[in-house]
Parts: sequence; C-alpha cells; structure tokens
Amino acid sequence: MRFTALVRRLRARPVALPPADPGAPEIQAAARRNRGSLQLRHVDAGSCNGCELEVASIFSPVYDAERFGMRLEASPRHADGLLVTGPVTRNMADPLRKTFEAVPRPRVVVALGDCARNCGVFRGAYGVEGAVADVVPVDLEIPGCPPDPQAIITALRGLAGT
Amino acid sequence: MHVSVTLTIAACISGLVIAAEVLHSGHVAVVHTTALLPFSGLSMVLDRFGALFVAVSAMVGICAMVFRLGYKGHGLSSRTASCVLPLFVTTLLLVPAASNVTTFLFLWELMAISSLLLVLVDHRRRSEVGSAGQWYAVMTQFGAAALLVGLVLLATHTGSQSFAAIAARSAHLPAWVRGSAFVLALVGFGSKAGMVPLHVWLPRAHPEAPGPVSALMSAAMVNLGIYGLVRVGDGLLGGGPAWWWLLVMTLGALSALFGSLHSATSSDLKRLLAYSTTDNVGLMLLGVGASGLFASTGHRTLALLALVAALLHVVFHAAFKGSLFLSASSLQQATGTRDLDRMGGLLRRMPMTGTIFLVSSLAMAAMPVLSGFVSEWLLLQAMLHGLPSADPAIAVAMPIGVGALALTGGLTALTVVKAVGIGLLGQPRSTGAAEAHEVGPSMRLGAGAMATLCLVFGVAPFVVVPSVVEAARSITRTRIPDPLVGGWQVGLAGVHGVLAPGLLALALVVAVTLVAGTRRVLQRAPARRTQAWGCGRELQTATMEYTATSFGEPLTRVFEDVLRPAHDLDVSHVAESRYYVEAARFHTSLDDAFERHAYHPASVGLGWWGALARRVPNGSIHRYLAFGLVALVVVLVVVG
Repeated sequence: MRFTALVRRLRARPVALPPADPGAPEIQAAARRNRGSLQLRHVDAGSCNGCELEVASIFSPVYDAERFGMRLEASPRHADGLLVTGPVTRNMADPLRKTFEAVPRPRVVVALGDCARNCGVFRGAYGVEGAVADVVPVDLEIPGCPPDPQAIITALRGLAGT
Repeated sequence: MHVSVTLTIAACISGLVIAAEVLHSGHVAVVHTTALLPFSGLSMVLDRFGALFVAVSAMVGICAMVFRLGYKGHGLSSRTASCVLPLFVTTLLLVPAASNVTTFLFLWELMAISSLLLVLVDHRRRSEVGSAGQWYAVMTQFGAAALLVGLVLLATHTGSQSFAAIAARSAHLPAWVRGSAFVLALVGFGSKAGMVPLHVWLPRAHPEAPGPVSALMSAAMVNLGIYGLVRVGDGLLGGGPAWWWLLVMTLGALSALFGSLHSATSSDLKRLLAYSTTDNVGLMLLGVGASGLFASTGHRTLALLALVAALLHVVFHAAFKGSLFLSASSLQQATGTRDLDRMGGLLRRMPMTGTIFLVSSLAMAAMPVLSGFVSEWLLLQAMLHGLPSADPAIAVAMPIGVGALALTGGLTALTVVKAVGIGLLGQPRSTGAAEAHEVGPSMRLGAGAMATLCLVFGVAPFVVVPSVVEAARSITRTRIPDPLVGGWQVGLAGVHGVLAPGLLALALVVAVTLVAGTRRVLQRAPARRTQAWGCGRELQTATMEYTATSFGEPLTRVFEDVLRPAHDLDVSHVAESRYYVEAARFHTSLDDAFERHAYHPASVGLGWWGALARRVPNGSIHRYLAFGLVALVVVLVVVG
C-alpha cells in the first residue's frame, strides 16, 4: 500500500457499510430480544488467529462496530451469547461447554469463520474434536477464511437488530 | 463432669435471680461474715450497678456450661478443670458484689488464678499453651499488683477499707492520692480488660484456652475490668478532673483502632476474636471516658448517655462475643483447626453453627436490628451531641472519638466479611473442613441461645435499657428525671435523636418481603443452577480460592507502618544454574508491635538483670562476709 493511500485510510470516517442482513426468523427473534445491544463473549476454540485479527479490526476506528451496539464482554455471565472462532480442539471442548453453560438464557452462539463452521483446513487433524456445532448448538454462522470485517458486522447487526 | 456443670449452672441461675431482683426492685443485697476472711471478714453488697455485671456473667455462664456438655477435647474433662470451672464462674458472679478492699482483692485473685488454671489445662499436649499461660500470669499479676497498691492507697488515706466509707470520704483526699489511685486502677483493670498496651495476653491466652473458657473470659471476665474502672472512677472517687477521662478516652481509642486493625489482618479465628475483644473494650472505655469528661464539665445528661452506651455495649458485647467464641470452638472442634485459611464451605456442612456464627458476627459489625448497633449508635449520639460544647477538652476529644469509632466500625465490618466469607463460604480448604459435621445439640443450644439474645437485644432493646440506665444512675448518683424516652424507642430525655429498632426490624422484614415478592412476580423462568464461573478451567480446587491472609493483605500494606509485617522469601536454585529455581517458599507473619517494641526489650532487660543478680551470690563465704562488712560500715556511716 502506498503511503498516501495509508494516510487516506487513516483519515477516513468509519467505513460506510451495507444495510444489516435480517437473516433467518430465529435471528430476527433474537434481534427483537436484543433491542440494539449485543454483548458477546469471544471464545477462541483453537483458531489460527486469522479470525481474531478480523474481530479486532471490526472494533477498530475504521469499522467501529460499537456504534451498532455490539461489544466484547469479559465474562460470559454478562453476555448475550458466544462468538466462537476456530475448530474446537480437544483441550478447548470442555471449556467451551462450560462457557456456554455460564451464559444466561436466552443465549446465542455465533460460529465465526470456516473452521468454526466445518473445521476448514484442520478437518480430521489429530487434535480437533469437531466443528463448533458438534459441541454447542450454533445459531448463526459467518463464512470466510477469515471473514471480511464488513461481512462480520453485517451478520452481527442482524443479530443486534441495528 | 456433670456434677461440675450442674453446680455451675445452679450458681449462675441463683446469681441471675438475685441480680434480677436487685435490678428490678433497687433493694441492695448485703452479706457480712467475719469468719471467712481474716482481719475484715467477707463483705458483699450487691447494688444495681454490680447486679448488671452479675446478670451478664450469669447469662454467659449458663450458655457456656450448656455448651460445655457437648464440648470434647482440650483437657477440659480432667478433674482439675472440673473442680476449677465452677470456682471460676462463681468468682465471676461474686466480684461485682465485693464491698471492701480485702474481699474484692481476694475474689479478684481467686478469679485470676482459677482462670489461669483453666487456660493451662491442655499444657501437656501443646507447648504453646504454657507460653500463653505465662503471658497471662505475668500480665494479670502485674495488674493485680497495681490494683493492690491503688486500693490500699485509698484505704489508708480514708482510714477505712469499706467501699461505702471510701466513697463518702474520698472527695476530701489530696489530688495526688486520687490521681495516682485512679491511674493505678486504670492499669490494673485495663490489664484485665485487655486495654492497649496491656492487651498482649489476650491474643495468646484466648486461642489456647478451651472454648467455653475463652467465651467466659472474653464475654464475662473482661467486663469486670470495665466494672472495676467505673466502680473506682465514678463510685469510690466520685468522678475526677478532665485529664483522667481524657487518658481513658485516648487508651480506649487506641485499643479500638489497634484491636480492630489486628483482627482485620489475623487469619487465626480465635486470635481474631481476641483482638476484637480488645477493640470492643476500647469502645467501652471510649464511652466511660466520654461520660467522665462530660460529668467533669457539668454535662450531666450526656454523661449518663455515654455511660449507658458503654454499659449497654458491655451487655451486648457479652452476648455476641460469647456466641462467637462458642461457635468458633464448634468450628474448631469440627474441622480440627482454627486457621481460617484451612476452613471454608462450613455454612453448608454445619448450617446451624454457621448461622449462629453469621448472626453474632453481624451483631459484632453493628448491623441494624442486631445488638451491637444500638450501643454503638448511642455512643456515637453521646459523642456527637458533645460537639457544640464550649469546653476545649470536649471540643478536641469528641471529634477524635467519633473518628476512631467510625474507623473501627469499618475495620470490624471488614473482619466480619473475612471471617464469614473465608471461613463459612466457598469450598473447603482442608480435609478437616471437607469432613466437618454439625456439632451436638447442647453445643448448638449454648451458642444459639446467645445468638438469639443478640437478635432480641437488637430488636427490643427496651428489655435491658431501663435496667442499664438504673445501673448507670446508681453508680454516678445522678438524679436525672425520666431518663428514658421509652416504649419501642431508645434515647434519653434532654438529648435529641431517638432510635426505634423495632420499627427498623419491621421495615427490614417489609423490604425483604417486597423485594422477594417482586422478584417472584417478575421472574419469567425458574432460576437455573450452574457451576460457578471459573474461566472455563477444567478443575476448580480450593487452592485457587481467596484466603484470609490475602484478604487482609491490602490492609496490611496500607497500615504497614503500624503493623510491620515480616516477609521471608526462600528461593533455592538447582545446582547447575542459578537461573532455574528449584523451590520457592514465602512466609509472612504479623506480630504485635507492642509486644515487639515494648515487651520484648523489657523481658530481655529483665533476663539480663536476673543474670547479673545471679552472679552476686556465688557461694563463696568470703564474699558474703565482705557483704556483711560493707553493710555494717554503711549502716554505721548513715546512723553516725
């Protein structure tokens, strides 16, 4: 990237985004419940950290996802749901279940990235227990390896109802 | 054992009946015999003031004896203990009735020695008991010596050793006699009450004594220190100059702060309670001192209010501290330890004892609708109403007293959160705590009766307040008409501010019902029980829990200059490289600043002096002859 382009990106207002994706009826029900506020606990179940970079970037000043009422929570006790990345490794399966148990009902689980959806390139690897849906019930999937920040925000806006 | 317990309970019940009769009717019970004691005979007069303390001791005695029926271990079932225990309780009942110097000192010493024997019952099995007993013996005998000199000073200068005669004639004594008698009495009674800096025996003797004995000592014997101070200061000397009472207030504030600070940082449950006794004695002394200060400047109503607050605190402290010591002994017996860092999860395993401990701890933290609240509120009222006074001594002392009371209250709350949170909640931190079972019915009954008293006194203080006011009036000989606002309320006529604990309790019940009802109505789904959130870790063990030591650590850091904790870090490295640590061991200890900086140098000095003195008589006949010659020459020079 050229220097001037970098300066232009840095000076830009938050990226204009396409309208929210209303999604399936269950997602719309969750959006009515959340009423514009979505607090998520992020669980890295065995990710390569590619998805983490994208999650970090949606909360950067460029995309500024907090303007759509979504935040990352420090504790599942305070969260509306889980944001899970990566294939579920053997060591993380139990902690993921425990974290899911710790979220108050009603709750949602978002599987972020191809690995979370179907183990991606790690399918069949010796340390992998399975996809997120094999361990906890998944409500929303966001495809991509890693997903584009705009795609993440669009999907989560549907869940937040904003 | 049963004979001893039955005898003791019978003595307590008869004491309670006589005390109730005296408190109710105001008649004075008198016993005189010339047979029992040489020179003066035994002379006992029980007035309302003494009867209050007899009633408190009897109350504690009955509960401790019921508790004792189920209490095992600690050598309390030995023959010595069975003989001495009734004697100790009886002296507790008799001391407040003594009405001449000989009788008083005789009973006082009997009480000190019998309690010493009871502290020492377990000395064969645990060596630290012997050291605790030594500290107690030295401190109590030091106090008794000061008392002896003080009371004999009064008796010789008034020409009579009867308390009534001393009280009648003491006003005409020279100021130095009155002053030194008061200071000696303060030292003597202060050492028994656990007043800083004479408190060092308390945190040693209380933890080592058997449970019922430490309850008796902390809830009944310590009160007699306050009894003696008020008896001498207000009764025999009839009040005094402001400096006496400023001294009492200073030592009281110091005791309250020092005691609460140490109890907030101790992790030994019974040591914590012992320091909290020092703290509460400090509050009583603050009340007694404020009362004397008000009286010396002519504020009669406030003086009475402050004394009533102090005496109420005596009664209420006896109830909650007795219950706390008894239930702490139950916890100790069930878990085999008194270290809070090795307890945990006991409220679920011992629900009844845990609840008793919880209720009495809350009373100690002066929570409303429990007993401690009423007396501390009254004390605060008395000191706050003194603020507008024009007298400079009051204007300086009262704000400091209020500040000390406030800080003490906060530290006590912290102590209670620690004791209950670490000791009763969470997961068990040792196998002893994990295998703990509820104690027997008599132990629960003994401790539970006192916890119930905390609740009764807190909700309906009018069951004791009139008696306490009468007791305070009888000792100060004030005639303030209709001192009590009365009914459900507590307060004194002539002082603004009343408290209605009954209404408070009602409001609390209504509020709890409202909140619980609203929650039940608004709740859409039934509550779901899941594991406590532990960051998703596989295994949650007790070693990950907060401990009492870590809970007190921030406070230790803040008050580092006062507490001076000693840290010790041992790191051993592997032989090949010192960059690899083989084992690390961290040890922290918190000993008493007074013990380290005053008592330790004093005992070293005494030891040095003793060693020096031992060199003088070396068995050589020539040296003894030389001593005789020198003495003769000196006598001849002096006489000639």
